[in-house]
Formats: sequence, structure tokens, C-alpha cells
Amino acid sequence: MDKPVTGTKKVFMTGNETVAWAALAAGADIMFGYPITPQNEIMHYWTRLGTKYGRDFLQTEDEISAGFTVCGAIIAGKKAFTATAGPGNTLMQEPFSMAEAMRLPTVAIIQQRGGPSSGTVIYSQQEVTLTTYGGNGEGHRIVYSTATHQEIYDYTIKAFNNAWKYRFPTFVLGDGYQAKMREPLEIYDPEARNIEMVIPSPLVGLPGRIGIEREPQHLCNIYSLEDELYEVVLQLQAEYDRMAPELEEYQCRECDDAEILVVSHGVVSRSADDAVRFLRAQGIKAGAFRPITLRPFPGRALREILQTGVKKMLIVESAYGQLARLLQQEIYGENVPVETLLMPGVGIIDADIISKVKSLIH
Amino acid sequence: MAVNRALELLRSSKKVTLVDLDFVEPFYTLRGLKPFLQEQGLTVIAWGREDSFGLGETGSLVTPPARWAMWRSGDIILDVGYGAHGAASLNLVEGALESEELKVWAVINTARPMTSTVGDIVDYVQGLQRVDGLINNSHLGDLTTIEFVAEGLLIVRKAAKILNLPVIYTAVEKRLEPELPVADLGPSPVKVISRYMPAARW
Repeated sequence: MDKPVTGTKKVFMTGNETVAWAALAAGADIMFGYPITPQNEIMHYWTRLGTKYGRDFLQTEDEISAGFTVCGAIIAGKKAFTATAGPGNTLMQEPFSMAEAMRLPTVAIIQQRGGPSSGTVIYSQQEVTLTTYGGNGEGHRIVYSTATHQEIYDYTIKAFNNAWKYRFPTFVLGDGYQAKMREPLEIYDPEARNIEMVIPSPLVGLPGRIGIEREPQHLCNIYSLEDELYEVVLQLQAEYDRMAPELEEYQCRECDDAEILVVSHGVVSRSADDAVRFLRAQGIKAGAFRPITLRPFPGRALREILQTGVKKMLIVESAYGQLARLLQQEIYGENVPVETLLMPGVGIIDADIISKVKSLIH
Repeated sequence: MAVNRALELLRSSKKVTLVDLDFVEPFYTLRGLKPFLQEQGLTVIAWGREDSFGLGETGSLVTPPARWAMWRSGDIILDVGYGAHGAASLNLVEGALESEELKVWAVINTARPMTSTVGDIVDYVQGLQRVDGLINNSHLGDLTTIEFVAEGLLIVRKAAKILNLPVIYTAVEKRLEPELPVADLGPSPVKVISRYMPAARW
């Protein structure tokens, strides 16, 4: 069967369409999903495109089921994924927690919408807490927050690879604006860029006699005793901590001599970049720091930047403090004053950030 | 494309109505542009911020003026656009499918992977209920070059031939207008367009 993408091709499309192409290029076998705006077109495009390339789709009865069927397909050795938003993300926390417990390489694309509850169908950054630390576990997840369609493509491919390599549930966190807007990007065959895709294999029914030729494969999410669970969670934490430095990613703009550091993530960081360019042109020493991985959070890098003369930090997000809380727990002990620009559920443009920065320095 | 066509018609006609028939995402399209377009003299039938505030997801429905838009006098542009159902939503407009005056033009961008090859365009257009002509709107947003537009035209022309449809025109962004004299766009008409949607942010 033909490859869905060969070589490199310049295209112009929506973020949702980009996810479908990236999942195809990454070799995803099957998507499970339940409709919810603003991610619906991921399913629409996947169902149109997937059939052309021998991939499968199942619409389940709800999001709980979509999450668990992803888990089941992965256990059977399939590269499976889902996509959801808002209340759907809330429902999927139970299967995502099971994936944490069983170390299942689930991949989920989250196109954030407004909350709480059904909120708006449009946009927000209010699913940061839910995606990074949702469920009744310790947040042993990988979460990429994308800012451009190119990143949606790149990080969806990366999400499949790192989920299977590290065996932690992995998320690509977009939003309704990214889902719906169109912009140019390059789509490519990962192999053409020397990206070796991990080949999935079944997690059960392995060859060899148990106890003689191999250890038993015990995918467990419930334990009889407190101290059994305690041991398991400590081991999970140790493996997560060991993996974290290999995964942490961030971007800096003009951080070297920044006196005021704007911290944002996802699509808002595009406004932050524009604001910093404008402020620098006016002689204001502004810089922008953007965590690309929200889990594991690049706290070490941020601490180092704060040592270079930052006098104030401004956290900007389309939520009421979800990034701020994440960041403050990661840099606990640093004494750089933190200011915030919190606009839950609405877009933030460069002018909003510029006027806030100016109000802080005058 | 619909906005450009409506403004173009406005220059030669006193009465032009632009109808937003995007029922999938009615809040993403003309909402931000509506006041500007009305100031230009267009009659705009589209959800505005003030119309939809408080309606939640029940705001995603056809407005009575859109349903009866074909009964209006003057020129009428129906922007069917975005969404899984595409031109199928025309069946919600009274008299649209029966109208002899209505022309249905499919706007093709070869930078969209689903309409990037001759075969894909043919499949796509054949999946629409009725199409009377193709418009080549091949572009990459800010990264568009005149060469990309010309390459797109070659593909659209081949698809049009198989479909037995005319290529109505090629759209070229105003920024690229100075390059038109040296561009190889053949004999088909060219229309220079402005990009209005970047200003549609609300």
C-alpha cells in the first residue's frame, strides 16, 4: 500500500486536518473516538483518509469507552490514538489513569475548548491541569503544548514515538484556534528525515514459557496491599524522573539579558513572541520563555534563565492560573516576583501583553 | 473568495447580499468581518456576536433570512464553504437547487492535500451535489508564490477537463500582482483578491 506522505510537501490546512495526516505518517493503525467540538474534523479526516491507507476507525458510545478501547488496542500491539476536548477529556481521565498504571503508550490529541463543563466549543487553555495531572495518579504523562501547525505535525509524530519508547501516556495539547485555523506547513514522511518510527508490538501473549524463558507480563492497575502500590508508584516516579531530562523541551526568545520574562505556552506564545519583538524595538528588555513540554516541565532550564538577571516574570494564559500553578510548583524557592495576565477562554493578542508589560515597568 | 466576489459585484450592482451558509462553525467565519462588510454597502446574512451571545450550541442553525435569501433581489453570494457536508447545505436554502440563475463554483486549493492531485480534485468535486465551474485558488497563505499558483492552475485545468467543467478564474493575492506579467497563467482569467479573513479575528 502507498505511503500517505512521501518526501516533503508544502500544504495549507487546518490543525485538525494536520493531526490526521501526522497520525497517518506516524503509522497509527487505528483511531477510537467520540465526537466533540473542536476536534471533530480529526475524526472526519481520519475516516476519509484512513480507509485509503488501510487504517481503522471506531466510534465508541462515549469518551470513556474511546479511551479504554485505545488501551485495549495498544495491549494487542496496535498503534492507537484518540482525540477529544473539554468534557470528553474529563471522561477520558479514567482510561488515561489506567494507562499510567499499566504503562500503556496511549496517544491523545486534546483540542482545548472553554470550561468548566461544556463551556464554549471555541477555545481556551483550561485543560492544562486536567491533561498534566488529571486522574487519581501522580501525573506520569508526557504532554506537548503546540503553537503552530508545523508543531502539531512534528509533535504528533513525536508523541507516537515517545509514548512507545518510554511507555507513558502521551498528549498533544492544542486548542480550538489551532484546530480550526488554516496555515502553511510542511508534511513529510518521517523516514525521509531519518526519524525512525517505533514498531509497536503486543504487550500480552508474548512468546516463551512464563517463569522459564521470560518473566510474566503483568499489566496491573490494582493491588491488594498498600505497600505493593507504594512500591509500584515509587518505581513509576523513579522511571519518570530518569526519563524527564531526555524529554523536557522549551523555547526562548531574547532570554539572555531579559529583565522581564513573559512565560506562556501553546498558541499564546505566538502573541508573546510578537510582544517581545515590539518591546525590544522600544528598548524594553523583555524575553519570552515557552515550555513545550508541560509534563515533564522544563523547570531546570527556567531556573537557570531566572539566574541571568530576570527582575520580573509575567505569566500569560487563556486560563485562570493553570500554567501559573504548574510553573510555580516547578520553580519553588526562586524569588523573582511573578505577575499574571489571566484571560480564561479568550484569545490573547500581542497588544494585551505589551500593555501589561508596560504597566509593570512604569 | 466569497467576500472578494461580493465586493467585486458591489462595484457594478447596487444590491449585493452575502450569505454565510457555514452551519458547522458559524462563529468562526464572518462574525468579525460583518460590521466592516456592512459599512462597504453589502447586505450580510450571518451570525453576529450580538445575535449568538447566550445561545450556546443552539446558535448553530440556519437563520430565517438565510433560508429565504434566494427570494431577494440583486446579486446573491452563498458561501457554502467549510464543513463535512459542503454543498449539501444548499438544500436548506429555499429555491437554491431549482434556481437557473444560481451558479455553483468549487474553489480549489491544491495546497490542501485532499485536493492536491487531479484524481483527488475529480473525486472531491464529484462528491459535491452540483458544480458548474472550478476556481483555482491554490495558495500557501503568507508563503504563496506566483509559481505555486501557476502549478496549481495546471492541476486544476486537468481536473476541469476530466469533469467537463470550465475554470472560471484563478485567484491571485494582491501582494503578487506585480509578478503577474511574467507568470505563466495561460489564457484563463485572473482575479486579484485581497485577504480579508486575517482581520476576521474577534
